Amino acid sequence: MLAVEYFEVECPEPLGAEYYKQIANDVLLDHNLLKVIEKIHIFIDPKVPVFIAVGILKPITSVVRVGDIANINPQEGKMTLVITDETYLAAMLKIFWERFGKDKVEQPDRFTVVLYDVKADPKELEQIVIGHPGESVNRDLIYALRCVAPEGFRLRSENFGTGKFTFIASENTLAEDLAPIVKEKFALMGETP
Amino acid sequence: MTLVPVTYKGGIYQHDIVTDLIEDLGGYVVQKHVLAQEVVLQCFVPKDDIELIREISRPIFGEVTDSPLVGTEIAVVSMSLEIHHLPHPSCDIAEYVRRIGAKSNMVSLARGPGKRISGLNDEERDVINEHDIAVFLMGNFETCIEFKMPKLLRGIEVPVVVCGGPDKETLIRIVDPPVEGYVGGVGRFMRRTKEADQLDKLDEIIAEITRVLEKKREDIAKDPLSVSPARLMNLIREKIPAILDVTSPTPLTVQMAGLRVKLPYDTFAPQLRAMEIEDGITLGDVAEIVPSRMRDYILVKVLPFSETNIAI
Repeated sequence: MLAVEYFEVECPEPLGAEYYKQIANDVLLDHNLLKVIEKIHIFIDPKVPVFIAVGILKPITSVVRVGDIANINPQEGKMTLVITDETYLAAMLKIFWERFGKDKVEQPDRFTVVLYDVKADPKELEQIVIGHPGESVNRDLIYALRCVAPEGFRLRSENFGTGKFTFIASENTLAEDLAPIVKEKFALMGETP
Repeated sequence: MTLVPVTYKGGIYQHDIVTDLIEDLGGYVVQKHVLAQEVVLQCFVPKDDIELIREISRPIFGEVTDSPLVGTEIAVVSMSLEIHHLPHPSCDIAEYVRRIGAKSNMVSLARGPGKRISGLNDEERDVINEHDIAVFLMGNFETCIEFKMPKLLRGIEVPVVVCGGPDKETLIRIVDPPVEGYVGGVGRFMRRTKEADQLDKLDEIIAEITRVLEKKREDIAKDPLSVSPARLMNLIREKIPAILDVTSPTPLTVQMAGLRVKLPYDTFAPQLRAMEIEDGITLGDVAEIVPSRMRDYILVKVLPFSETNIAI
């Protein structure tokens, strides 16, 4: 919980708030999301019933390049790439196929990729961007918040992007005037929606 | 002769000495688990002979412990099979009661979650009613528990223990109609129960289940069953060999006042009814044999002495 600057759960039932703070912490920790969240405020009112989670994300600027996951070994007429992390291997192969053609890319085993007759410079190859870890954060966060929210709350409204997120869920039709409440919850964190 | 439920744990070497002894003393082995070099027997033994079993099993390093839940079938009612409730706490609780001898089944409701939208259908109700006790695992908010409990308890005839996030006093106040047992502070959580305080909570659930079942046992003792379900289990094993081919972990599940036989109803119910127990008395004379709502199983409900005038 230390990585998060602001983490509060607000609920008319104090014991319920305590339990839900624990649940939110466990779920976000399990999904490895605490490190990307800067502030999060959860409001639950079981009487309405409604679940609102608002928060601020830390900016994720890093991208993954070929050089980050592979060592390139140039040889006569071919280049051998020794893979150290398989996570982005599929994405990398896809980019290679598009750029060089399938006949020039071969993968003899799990950790080796060989490029035949490729005119590119190894330094240039190392700089090819193959993944954006920030892209999946929103999807992971939606999944995690669905796990945190009470299960019966199946009607949802989600707004993710530009470093801020709002997740509203209820088991009844969502009211139209939730914007002021969302604004109020952002204000508690010292932010605006 | 009063039979009490116990668990025997020991090495596999010469464990048949204990099995034979229990049978010779008039006891019954309800379940037998062989785990690598260890054997666990869940059994009913005569109260006065527990010391004798302890003495005889001492040279082979066997251990006899009280297991009040042996011979009971418990329904652990989870609100759904989603990640919200599984594996913690539903599986943790179901597994914990299994360790001390109970046969636990998880009953997950199709429309369990939520407040206004939750409900119980007839199949779920009937399946829960086939057990000795139902443990309802509720959530963390008292508002929701108060609102949905009347709907979930409609038609439930077996004793119920309610577990929920609010403390015990709050649960007693809000659960309507009142149930037999309450355990507070065990609502929805998403971490494994392994810390001492969490295990204490599981022990509290066991204590509450045991208390409620003891009361049910006392009620049954006032009007004893015509035949002991554990005895029936052995008889069925002897006389209906098809049961030996069933691959289910407990082909015959002993309950407090009956037995679940995991054989198809249409094929085996007439055979079961006609099965002779002793001196021409058949199972049909002392028990009701009805189809179970759980798959195609057979449910044997042993009738009390007051209804049959037979005690064997």
